[in-house]
Amino acid sequence: MADETRSAFEESEDTRQAQIERATNAVLVAAALALVGGTLVGLVSPSYLVFLVSLAAMYGLLSLGLNVQWGYAGLINFSVAAFFGLGAYVPVLLSASGSPITDAVPPIVGLFAAVVVTVLLALAIGIPTLSLREDYLAIASLGLAEVVRLVFRNQENWTGGTSGVGGIPLFFEGVPVLGTLPRDIGTVDLGIYTLGFQFWNGLLNALIVGSFVLVSYLVLRRVHRSPWGRVLRTIRSDEDLAEALGKNAYAFRMQAFVLGSVVTMLAGVYYAYSNYFLTPGIFDPIYTFYAWIAVILGGSGSNRGALFGGVVIVAIIEGTRAFGLSASWRLFAVGLLIILVMRFRPQGVLPPRDELIWPGARGGGTDE
Amino acid sequence: MIGSLSAAGVLASAVAQLGGGYLPQLLNYLANGVVFSAIIVLGGIGLSLVYSIANFANFAHGDTMTVGAYAGLVTLGAVGTAGPQLFSLPLGFYAALLAGIAVAAIVAVATHYLIYEPLDVDSIGLLITSIGVAFVYRALVQLRFGTGTYEYDIATLRPIPWIEDLTGITLTEHEVAIVLVSTTLVVALHVVLQYTTLGRTMRATADNESLAKVSGIRTDRVITSMWVIGAGLAGAAGVFLGLYNQLSPRMGFNLLLVVFAAVILGGIGSVYGAMLGGFVIGMVNRLTPVLTDVGIPIEPAYANAIAFVIMVLVLLVRPTGIAGEEVT
Repeated sequence: MADETRSAFEESEDTRQAQIERATNAVLVAAALALVGGTLVGLVSPSYLVFLVSLAAMYGLLSLGLNVQWGYAGLINFSVAAFFGLGAYVPVLLSASGSPITDAVPPIVGLFAAVVVTVLLALAIGIPTLSLREDYLAIASLGLAEVVRLVFRNQENWTGGTSGVGGIPLFFEGVPVLGTLPRDIGTVDLGIYTLGFQFWNGLLNALIVGSFVLVSYLVLRRVHRSPWGRVLRTIRSDEDLAEALGKNAYAFRMQAFVLGSVVTMLAGVYYAYSNYFLTPGIFDPIYTFYAWIAVILGGSGSNRGALFGGVVIVAIIEGTRAFGLSASWRLFAVGLLIILVMRFRPQGVLPPRDELIWPGARGGGTDE
Repeated sequence: MIGSLSAAGVLASAVAQLGGGYLPQLLNYLANGVVFSAIIVLGGIGLSLVYSIANFANFAHGDTMTVGAYAGLVTLGAVGTAGPQLFSLPLGFYAALLAGIAVAAIVAVATHYLIYEPLDVDSIGLLITSIGVAFVYRALVQLRFGTGTYEYDIATLRPIPWIEDLTGITLTEHEVAIVLVSTTLVVALHVVLQYTTLGRTMRATADNESLAKVSGIRTDRVITSMWVIGAGLAGAAGVFLGLYNQLSPRMGFNLLLVVFAAVILGGIGSVYGAMLGGFVIGMVNRLTPVLTDVGIPIEPAYANAIAFVIMVLVLLVRPTGIAGEEVT
């Protein structure tokens, strides 16, 4: 761990890192231009473009959440999928017409219910596991996430079981103006495209998930630089030192675990309300591993890296789909990517910059 | 310990509540548990060996089982099922078993030299890399065989009549073969570990790799042997799992956490602990229906969940597991 931190720190001073960052930016800009250009000439439908952006934001949330746990605090959390699923299921079970519990609660209120349930589940998983050694934590958290998955699959009386929950309303159902906005705008004819309800609804969902990402990013960046974030980094690199300084490592880890879980949960909320139907497939451990690849590829501890990782995951998932490759190829690509990153760039593509220094403290051009 | 005590308590109350007529049913669960345990034990030993010698939790171990199972499928298809039989299994099946062991071992050794060896990361990095390896194994199996299920081309048997008449246990010769061959493999491993030079060097390397090295042990050879033995046993477990159930690309990954639960229960890194833990977890897994029978509303669908909860409890109460070896 200590080695990793140091190498990430040294690399950021390196000109090679600057080159990699420029190249990464160039690729991202080129991809964005290609997609926008494709939309203008009629190859990529605007609805799909909006969907892609939202999906990248969703995976970005998963990896931002995990980054708090793994990148900041060094927790090997393999229960990401449990919180992703919870974020989807809790508001849906309270608001969907197909829910076995109730459909009376507006989704926005359901969102807050999801926060409460997420905090409770994070405590339930965290209390027994967070004091475990790192590899035990990985196995234990994966096991507990699997227990959550089995409960949602089998408790049909609460969750609808494997047949899922249908009749999911729009996220702003019941809210004045926003609730009916996608329908009220009506159809806009742009020549090559006709933008109807589906597009406007997708755009609204994109704005929702986009605002989740924006708020999470700003909050996480702020707390990362705060004394709280500094203690977490200390715990990650030398727990005994942190304890000797009077910091309760267990409590700080728990806070990071809960905070990250809430961010992860937000991704689930978007997932549920961008679909009409929700099944326990959302608890598949593959989502946990997607989040892990995104964080490791982006660079552990780096928020912009986590977002970049989210974009790459979407590129792999939707790219293989666009080329007509099967899910097996997607799995192969994901597996190979993990191996290649660990082999050639274990610190990630965009490792945290100047992790230990407040950005303003550097001044202009005083690099040594 | 706690788990086995409470399990025994549940069993006793089951017989007491439901009367003697429940006994054959219970014996059936137990017999089934022994068969399932045999598979978990084979998987667990390999996982534990990798942990003790290569020092990381190998998430590709489940998919190594899958690789072995599919290698067996191909071999059985090529060799055929004609010829003499042993335990109602054609010789072709034993060829398939050997192929499963060999292919899993070769794949694991190749993975070690191509992927794990050149890495410059800590044990957590290796753990994460092994997830990538697991995905690649599974993806390759899916690309070759599709995502559907297969079965070995061996007729399903009726239970052995005299055992059924005598005790009411429905046990097929195939299941007996799984238990006997697994036991043979486990005993052979015990002999290798305790009475051969390879075994002594393996134990020395697991204990303290640097010390083993300065004592003149070629630890790289030991590590290769460890992969051969660990992955070979996983391959055998995969073939047996295919015979016991059916083959699917997720068969190994789905079992991985149960195997981890067994290994942790026994004490991670301890081979004998893995045997014991595998036995207990396998039994508990197959005895889950008893809970519903005595009126505890936990369905058999939660069999794995119970194993995971036991695992977390063991980690909390006694992280060193039953075998209690000091883990460093």
